[in-house]
Amino acid sequence: MERIKGIFGDFVGRHGLGVAIYISASVLVWVIVLIALPQVAMLDYSFRHNLPPAQIGGPEDVYTISNYSYFLFGNGESFNALDTGVLFKTLFAAAIVTFIDILICYPIAFILAHSATGVAARMMVLGLIVPFWVNEILRAFAFRVIFGATGLVNGIGMGMGLWDTPVDFIRADVALYSSLTYSYILLMVFPIYNAVEALDRNQIEAAQDMGAPWWRVHWRIVLPVAKPGIASGATIVFMLTAGALAAPQIIGGPSNLWFTQLVYQWFNDASNWQRGAAYATILLGSCLTFVLLLMKVFRVPIGAIGR
Amino acid sequence: MSAPATSGRSFAVFYSILFFAFLFGPLLIMTVTAFNSSSFPRVTPWECFTTEWFSVLINNDRLMQGLVTSIFIGIGVVAISVPVGLAGALALSEINPALRSALYTVLITPVLIPGVVLGISTIVFWGNLGRSLGGGAQDLFFNGIFLTIVGQVTFISAYAMLIFSARLQRFDPTLTEAALDLGATPGQAFRRILLPFLRPAIGSAAFLTLLASFENYNTTVFTILADNTFTTALASKIRYGTDPSLSALAVIIIAVTLIGAITHEAYTRRREAILGGAAARSALYTNPLGRIVTHPATIFALLVVLAGFAVWKGSQHEAAECKMQIMDEKRANQERLLEEQRLRMQQQPQNAPQAPAQPGTPPAGTNPSPFGGAFGNVAPGASAPAPATPAPPATTNPSPFGGAFGNVAPGATPAPAAPQPPPQPPADANPSPFGGAFKNIAPAP
Repeated sequence: MERIKGIFGDFVGRHGLGVAIYISASVLVWVIVLIALPQVAMLDYSFRHNLPPAQIGGPEDVYTISNYSYFLFGNGESFNALDTGVLFKTLFAAAIVTFIDILICYPIAFILAHSATGVAARMMVLGLIVPFWVNEILRAFAFRVIFGATGLVNGIGMGMGLWDTPVDFIRADVALYSSLTYSYILLMVFPIYNAVEALDRNQIEAAQDMGAPWWRVHWRIVLPVAKPGIASGATIVFMLTAGALAAPQIIGGPSNLWFTQLVYQWFNDASNWQRGAAYATILLGSCLTFVLLLMKVFRVPIGAIGR
Repeated sequence: MSAPATSGRSFAVFYSILFFAFLFGPLLIMTVTAFNSSSFPRVTPWECFTTEWFSVLINNDRLMQGLVTSIFIGIGVVAISVPVGLAGALALSEINPALRSALYTVLITPVLIPGVVLGISTIVFWGNLGRSLGGGAQDLFFNGIFLTIVGQVTFISAYAMLIFSARLQRFDPTLTEAALDLGATPGQAFRRILLPFLRPAIGSAAFLTLLASFENYNTTVFTILADNTFTTALASKIRYGTDPSLSALAVIIIAVTLIGAITHEAYTRRREAILGGAAARSALYTNPLGRIVTHPATIFALLVVLAGFAVWKGSQHEAAECKMQIMDEKRANQERLLEEQRLRMQQQPQNAPQAPAQPGTPPAGTNPSPFGGAFGNVAPGASAPAPATPAPPATTNPSPFGGAFGNVAPGATPAPAAPQPPPQPPADANPSPFGGAFKNIAPAP
């Protein structure tokens, strides 16, 4: 409390009372009412039974772990292989998509930071941003047009005689992974770019003069500088991919579910908000665990994200 | 010496071309499909150049209703999240480093939390609050628009905060100190020094938050409840069937974006030229006419006029003739297939009188129904079953079974309630899954 008073006094001294009140009130409301309390409410909700409105707050309204045990064991005693499988598939696929994005975006971020100049660089930045302005839904839709049974890829492939019957790219999830990779490119390029830009070009030239091949220059000089950027971009892309809902709904294969779709189904189709909240908690928990684990492995602090 | 540099250079160019081809390819393809008259968005086969999908888009009431809701929500989100983000950035830049990283972690988490989770936690929390408060609060806290604004502000404020933080890092605090030394009150220093410095960031934060609010789906689809925003209406439209009017929407968005981007580029160049002193030397900028031509406003106006002309030209375009031609081709194709089918049918009883219909015959080429040609084969083969004049599939049949049942109805009992008169204009777009299929069974009445 003393500390908060101290900080508040500091603000008053610097900007005046009105501004100090505005800053503290905004941040407090944001942190407490918008961020913290809703998460607590969701966590609380996920431990409750799905009761009709009349019984809420009554004697039946007690805590339970049934929503979580359903995720693990289903209705019976046996292991709920379907839902757990969907979770693992989602995390695994999101990791793959993130990895592909790193591979695609690292070179372009390096080129943008060290090869392109003036107009070319500005045009490249514009070119990166323009596709990002098109709605996420429409981006997924574009991949449906490309990969559908009568889509462009099948049209060209069959026209050239490469295959006879339409290949079901949507069922094979090719369309989904391409679309997710495409959607979050910008969020991978800019963090890496910001990190790589800080690199002194003389270091690269010194290494080249000493005879280092290009891959060693990148491995020993550029990558260490790019690491915080890569970690930041990868975290954002991974979380967004694992939490994506629109793309799997639009171009996901009919038999392959994304974990967010399970959450959506509990909410909207089954009207079981409590179980939906439990599944959302599971999604959040496993994503955060995965990200923190990787950050530990690669020794990156969480403060690097978004910088 | 120069060999690796050149090869690195050509690799950079080559890779950039590949990369941007991947980035723009889907958008280009979508743009092309917007002008194809085929009722499913596709590039091949190309049918007719048409602009009808733009009017289909504009006449979609649900989308337009959602657009109004989205704009309303967007304004609310910008009005709240820009000041909140600014407060967050100021707080971050001025508290001591130990607290700063903790606060930063808390404020950045909404960006990382899946949107689904944010949406759920928002409706659960405000729902609980509304229940315990009762009365008017209950109505407000169960309002989809209110919940959506609150849910979106939670994470969109963090975007604004990141923009303000980046700008604040370049702020020189001695400016404020100088103002204070000269007798300004802290409030005056804030309003006259810091806010003007942040003005460009306020503009870009407002723009980015508006865009983020407009685009958001994952959180909104939960918080909007029974209502609809533009994005959720779009998503449900795509999930339950597609037509190229969505491509038309993409074309509009891309066009607006390009106009904005080119104007911005013109603005940046002009500014650089003026600030760098190149303007005074260049012939283009000293010439009064050149100055007008290179002004961003002129370029913007020019682009808008160009777009307007394209819209006008497009609205004049009539694709009906070409479409009739395509239709005729399709009909001819279908007739040919039916003819072939009938020949096969006539041969079949001779070869194997008891043999069931052969399912292997491919369905009529353009028939969208999965049962298209197959049912034609099921029809009793003893007498020549195929209709003398093959009835083309119905177009404007609103009922999924309307045309089909009308035709299936046996001639003995007249079907007075047949919802559609039998003679229907032929069209390729058959909205009914069975419409065309059953026509093959029974002779046209």
